[in-house]
Order: sequence, then C-alpha cells, then structure tokens
Amino acid sequence: MKGAISSSTGEVYKHHEQRRVCISRPKYREGRKAKAVKVYTINLESRYLMVQGVPAIGVMTELIQLCALYGVVEEYRPLDEYPAEEFTEVYLVKFQKLTSARAAKRNMDEKSFYGGVLHVCYVPEYETVEDTRLKLQDRRSYIARAARKSSASSEAPTSSDKIPASRDVTSKIESTGEALSQSHYSEFPPLPLPPREQCSFRQKSHRRLVPTEDKMGTLHNAFFNVEQWQADSLSSNPTTSNREQDTEGRLGPNPGSGVRFIPRNTNLESRKRKVEESGEPAANISGENEPLIGPKLPEPAKLDMEDESLNTTVSLIRSTMKQVGSVPDLKRVEKKAKPRRRI
Amino acid sequence: MSSTEAPERFEYLQSLVTEFQDTDSEEAKEQVLANLANFAYDPKNLEYLRELQVPDLFLDMLTEENENFVEFGMGGLCNLSMDPDCREVILQSGGISLVTNSLSNRREETVLSAVTTLMNLATPATRSQISEPGILQCMLRFSLAESPRLRNLAAVFLQDCCSEEQVRQAQQQMEGRQTAVGIPLPKA
Repeated sequence: MKGAISSSTGEVYKHHEQRRVCISRPKYREGRKAKAVKVYTINLESRYLMVQGVPAIGVMTELIQLCALYGVVEEYRPLDEYPAEEFTEVYLVKFQKLTSARAAKRNMDEKSFYGGVLHVCYVPEYETVEDTRLKLQDRRSYIARAARKSSASSEAPTSSDKIPASRDVTSKIESTGEALSQSHYSEFPPLPLPPREQCSFRQKSHRRLVPTEDKMGTLHNAFFNVEQWQADSLSSNPTTSNREQDTEGRLGPNPGSGVRFIPRNTNLESRKRKVEESGEPAANISGENEPLIGPKLPEPAKLDMEDESLNTTVSLIRSTMKQVGSVPDLKRVEKKAKPRRRI
Repeated sequence: MSSTEAPERFEYLQSLVTEFQDTDSEEAKEQVLANLANFAYDPKNLEYLRELQVPDLFLDMLTEENENFVEFGMGGLCNLSMDPDCREVILQSGGISLVTNSLSNRREETVLSAVTTLMNLATPATRSQISEPGILQCMLRFSLAESPRLRNLAAVFLQDCCSEEQVRQAQQQMEGRQTAVGIPLPKA
C-alpha cells in the first residue's frame, strides 16, 4: 500500500523528518538561515508535498488557496493515516509541476498558518512509476537546455542578475550551498513566484471557490475542471515547453520570462476547436447554427408589454441592437481613422 | 552570468574544495561535501565544478568508510551526472563500476542516488555495461522492495535501460540459482 509510512516498521520515512540545524559552520559559509546538513537530489524532490501542522479548524480551503499561489494544484486530500500532532491535520498536495512544489515548499515551510506552524516536505513515495520517469526526464532535458544555453551565451547577463535583492554575491552563493529548501539557484529571489501561465486561471478558481463545508469535496473537482480547460489551452501555447525554465532561474534571455498572461481568445479558440471537433450543434441565442464562441451571454429578459404592437417594437429594437452590437470592431476602426478636428 | 559574479562564484567554490582538502575536521568535511553536492544541483555551477575536479572528488568519496561521505558524494554524482559533460568525466574515471558497488550500500539515499546515477550514465556506448546481468538482478530485487521510491526507480531502470529480453534472462538466472545473489536491500 502506497503511503508515507513504512508498512513494516510503522514509522514515518526518515526524509520527512526535520533534521537538527547545523551550528558549527564557519562564517564564510554560513547562510542567512540556519539549515541542517542535507543533500538534495532529484530523488528527494517531487511534485507531491505533505503539509503538516495545519490547525484542525476547517481551513483546508485556505491551505489549498495558499498552495495555488505557487502553481496549479492537481489533487489534494487529508492524510488521515499519517501521525499528526494534537489538533492538527496533515494534507497531501499534488502540484502539476515540480517547480511549483519547490516554490511552495520553500515559501510555506516553517511559516505560521492560522495559529499553527506548517511543516512542508516532499513525498516522492506517492509518485507512480510514470511520475518518477517523467520527473527524471524533465530534469535531464532542463539540464541539457541549460548546458546548451550556457555554452551559447556564456557572457550574456541574465535577467535574474538584475534582481534588486542584496548585491552580496557571497551570501547569495552561500544560500545555495545549504540544504536546498531555500534556494537552488543563487539569483533566485526570496519572494514567491506567482504561477506564470496560470494568472487568468487563478482568478477563475477564486470565483469558483465556495467556502462551505458541503462543497469541500467538490472543490477538488472544480479545480481539476478548470485546470483541464486551462491545460488544453496551454497545450496549444508553444511557450509551455519552457515550463521548467520559468521558475527555476533564468539562464539566458528567455522569451517566456515575465508573467505569461493567456489572452482570452486563446481560451475561446480552444473552446471553439473543441466544439468543432465534437461536432455538437451549439446553442445560440439568435437560433442560428453557428459554433458558440465564448461564454453564453444571459438571454435578455423577455419583456411583455401587454400589447402586441409594443411587443413587436421591442423585438425590433432588440434585433437592431444585436445587429449593431455584432460589428463593434468595424466601428472602432472607423473611429480611429477619423481625423481629429482642430479648433 | 554577469562578468563580475563569475570569478567570485568560482573562487567561492574553489575555497570550499580547498577547505575540504585541508581541514582535519570530519564534521567540516561533511558540511563542505554536502554544500558542493547541493551546488551540483544548479546547472550554473557545473562548469566550475568540472574545472575544480569535483566529479573525481565525489567518486573518491564512494570508497570512504564514513557513510555520510559516501551518501553526500553519491548525491553529488547523481546531480552532476545529469549533465552530459560531467557524465563523460565520470565515465572516464571508471564511474560505472564505482557506482555499481554502491548499490549494496545499506543507506537508502545512497542506493537511490546510485540507481539514478547509473541511469544517467547510460549511453549507447555504455549500455552493455549498465545492463550486465548482475546489475539487472539487483534492479529486479529492488523492484520488489518495500520502499516505493526504490521500487519506482528500479522499474524505470528496467524499462528504460535494458531490453525485455535481457530482463527475462536475468530473471531466469536468478530463479536458476539455489541461493539468492547476496545484495542486501538497504534500510529505509
């Protein structure tokens, strides 16, 4: 049975435990934060995180909202089988990307949360074989890309060098020498990175969240559906191939750097494509057999003027407005072309 | 990499290597080794670490008595071996046999790093060495281990680094023997 607990000894896995902080470092390699002596490899990292110390006061939603700041959350559930301190809960959170999990762990570990202190660690034992394979492949291709870039442009300054944080290179380097929960990359800013291509997604997800006990179970599905939709639109976006580069430190001039906002028409186009592929006859207010693009506008309230001629007038006005409304772009262009009057 | 930062970074890494070589304190050595292994995770440092011959330093750790040295050294190799250039250096220094010997280490992290490193070292030229029956049998045992991480890594190894026929042959050899090959499973 897969789990975070060894089934033979009933004990938690060693790599979940916090190690004692090392106090004997010489000053030149003392980091900003006290750390234990630990080596991070790809085997220790995972897009699965375990969050302990969550106060048992019904704040699961808030916890997942916090996690979602660092990237798309694919799944989450309470880990009832894991030993927890009194009055606290333990959660398993699966991120879509390893980089999101890394950022979440770095920023949430040891942070206070609703009166408790969170302990966040990777739980790669929850991975499937496929998860593990993909993790290794992604890591290898990331390194290969980094190697290619550094050989191509070894002298070019990277955007990450311009971070306004401390200019003390030594202390920045020191922080990477420590256990890697803090930072793998010396230019990595201490601030949490927002999830790049999910900006528009986040707004949607917040709107969908209804913080009631009843809907807790369905929240997961709500997340997942939005992500699925987003993922579909993202798959058409060529910049997603650089996903690992986004948050892992910028190694050179990166065309994908900066917040990646998904323009609305991308989502609309993907929806249009979907509808066309499924061959559904889409509902349409005007009753014509066109594929529906964009969200369905609320139908105008049927107004009964209690008089036939008035009703006819109303429907005539409505249809005229529709016609007028259907050529907005043309109008705007015309306006722009108009020469300004100079008085 | 800005021109002002590069020499400082190199110098810092160099001072770490120097401290490792000069200090008598085991504790300091462990700390520095762990630092270097963690630095090996960042692709920006790989070129400098190669220049400072850190791959060989890590390989030397695999035959040390101190288990932390072995674990941290193997972790460093796991990180470095993802890079093609570092991989070449490791292969030229006889990395495959040194790493293979570490498969019998009793620490799980060391074994996990060893399995991953072997996968990284698999090239068309080294494939036959990597998929020797002894190694395959070891991986077959690992694929039945209690530890999910070890199971997964071994499964990926068996699927990606050798043919089905080779796996079958190794399985048959294992069943044909009266006593199992004595490669113990590491403690979790």
